[in-house]
Amino acid sequence: MRKSTKLAFPTLVSFLTISVLATACSSTTPTTGGTNSTTPSSTAASNEKGGQGNVTVTMWHGLTSIDLENMNKVVKAFEAKNPTVKIKLVYTESNEGADQKLLTAVAGGNPPDIAYFDRFKVGSWAAQGSLTDLSTMAAGAGINKNSYYPFAWDESNYKGKLYAIPLGTDSRLLFYNKDHFKEVGLDPNNPPKSLAELEAASEKLTIKDGKRFKRIGFIPWYSQGWLYSWGWSFGGDFQDKSTGKITANDPKVVDALQWMTDFGKKYNVEDIAGFTSAAGTDEMDPFISGQISMKISGNWTVAGIKKFKPNLNYGVTPIPTPTGSNFTTWSGGMSLIIPKGSKNIEPAWKFLEFLGKEEGQYLLNAQSGMSVIDSVNAKFGYKDDPIMKEFVNILPKSHNRPVIPEGQLLWNELASATEKATRSNGTPKENLDKVTETVNKALEKYNK
Amino acid sequence: MAKLAESVHLKASPVARKQRSFRRTNVIGWLFASPWALGLICFYAIPMFASIYFSFTTYSILQPGEFVGLNNYKDLFNDPLFWKSIYNTIYFAVFFVPISIFFGVALAMMLNLKVKGMAIYRTIFFLPTLVPQVALAVLWMWLLHPNFGLVNGMLASIGIDGPPWLGGEAWSKPSLILMSLWGIGHAVVIYLAGLGDIPDEYYEAAEIDGANWFQKTKTVTLPLLTPVIFYNLVMGTIGAFQQFTLPYTMTKGQGTPANSMTFYVMYLYENGFRYFKMGYASAMAWILFVIVMALTALIFISSKRWVHYQGK
Repeated sequence: MRKSTKLAFPTLVSFLTISVLATACSSTTPTTGGTNSTTPSSTAASNEKGGQGNVTVTMWHGLTSIDLENMNKVVKAFEAKNPTVKIKLVYTESNEGADQKLLTAVAGGNPPDIAYFDRFKVGSWAAQGSLTDLSTMAAGAGINKNSYYPFAWDESNYKGKLYAIPLGTDSRLLFYNKDHFKEVGLDPNNPPKSLAELEAASEKLTIKDGKRFKRIGFIPWYSQGWLYSWGWSFGGDFQDKSTGKITANDPKVVDALQWMTDFGKKYNVEDIAGFTSAAGTDEMDPFISGQISMKISGNWTVAGIKKFKPNLNYGVTPIPTPTGSNFTTWSGGMSLIIPKGSKNIEPAWKFLEFLGKEEGQYLLNAQSGMSVIDSVNAKFGYKDDPIMKEFVNILPKSHNRPVIPEGQLLWNELASATEKATRSNGTPKENLDKVTETVNKALEKYNK
Repeated sequence: MAKLAESVHLKASPVARKQRSFRRTNVIGWLFASPWALGLICFYAIPMFASIYFSFTTYSILQPGEFVGLNNYKDLFNDPLFWKSIYNTIYFAVFFVPISIFFGVALAMMLNLKVKGMAIYRTIFFLPTLVPQVALAVLWMWLLHPNFGLVNGMLASIGIDGPPWLGGEAWSKPSLILMSLWGIGHAVVIYLAGLGDIPDEYYEAAEIDGANWFQKTKTVTLPLLTPVIFYNLVMGTIGAFQQFTLPYTMTKGQGTPANSMTFYVMYLYENGFRYFKMGYASAMAWILFVIVMALTALIFISSKRWVHYQGK
């Protein structure tokens, strides 16, 4: 007898842990964000038959502070209009980790009904067949390419089908420090428009002490000065819309990179790298601390300046172009998607539709950012704000990054080509030819 | 059970009793270990063997992909960034592992002196290892800021124009090695334990023979510390090849400048989770496994020549 009790304890321990392990892996237990966690499947089924049961729609997001408050308002407004649908917000941190969570959830066949999703990734996820095609539902709800700015619509579509509802957006402009302008005798109300003016201003603003910059006027590739920003400003294009092929070696994009390279040479690239490599953020941001006089950045910087240095005397103006006219920029932003495998597509779409129209867009972007609907931005009063109006007014002409399955590869390749060229590691042309070849080769397997 | 319990009351031969109790402790042991064993099979063994298979496919996590034989491996060998990441990783390992062993042993020997307040010094050297890697990365980025960092500020005050550190292609990896030395505390603790294991009699005998400090170190301390050095060498090498958190945090996953900070595991992660090339990433993982395995085997084989175990 004594012996059997001796075995009882370890048996119990192992039995308990194994059962815990087993339940942790089984799909029937409620785990965070599981779609069937709070909705007994019977009610979901009855609802599809037109029953009166409530459906709970789960949405994964990475929103915090003001954005989360706004989203809660959206949910409230939506539920008031759709009493049979409950929206359950589940926070999944907003970084790479969130992507991996979604990835494994989709791969495991237990995704949320809706996910807050970077539009930039629509191409790659749609190519993997992991997003629900929204085209028919959108057409039925009157959502079409005229609903949004052109780039926002284009970025939500892959191969002619709509996979996402765009939410907010951004744009990139040249920020310049008006006090610095005054100090060196430049007109603070007449910022540079052409490249020649930009170069001249930059030269005047730079104060160099040996290898060290006490202050630098401008660095083309700093902050948001991606090759995308310059390539489009030079009038180039990165994709042939008719064939879908990548054209990173478009002569005008090559010109843009050549100009960036030459600009860097003038100030000694190694010294610039020393400046940019560990440039601070927030209150230590070089533009806020006055270490750089001009930079290309996005509208989120406006909030940062308000927070960390409200009295900074600055202005914004479109990214200078070779001719001093035909200004453009590029925009990204977030969206909502319905992952493949969602069990509540109908009610989930209702929520997407709500957010895709004025009321939802207004609630979501209030005090926080720009909407993809022009009338909503007007309602926010952005068009009367000296700074914000510049960001909003350029949106109709803004670009979106090519929607391809290899968007991330193209991004990394362009970034690395920019870095190599500006560090004189191969000419701009050589580097961009290589990017074009690499990405097009990677795209081949999707066209089989 | 009951039968077993009854049989124990019979006078069994001592050997049989021993065997039985041995068998019983075995059962108890396995029962206690079973959750772990199950976890190991579920979450390590099965995925590991699955990834061998995946390395021959175009598996993308979201799609099963198709079987492509050795294509992934062929593509890897033609991928310049793959070679660059191997070069970066080996560069880091070749410098970091010996330097960390040298400093680790030196520090441990210093912390082994009988000086007042030694506990405080030991604590000070162990503290940095408690700082999370991500926080450490941010901290060092500030210290090493080429223009406004403390390090270059100090160098400037004595008239030296400091290097660009993390901003320079040639300087980024040395900077990382410098930063990684901060995590030396763990190894130092193990060396200290090793030093504490060396019997005083050896030192007394050496002193009677008139050995000075240097001779004592060379003939007593270091040879008897070799098992611990060996352990840290193996673990350090494996760790160095898996370098990820620090460079990933500092370069926001981009491996800047000019891919001089793209380490093997970073590139593997990029392929698997950002390009959806899990098959390719699996192939990379197995190549890494073979490299690390071969190196570890080499270290083990060589250990017969230089590792001395006490009393053997």
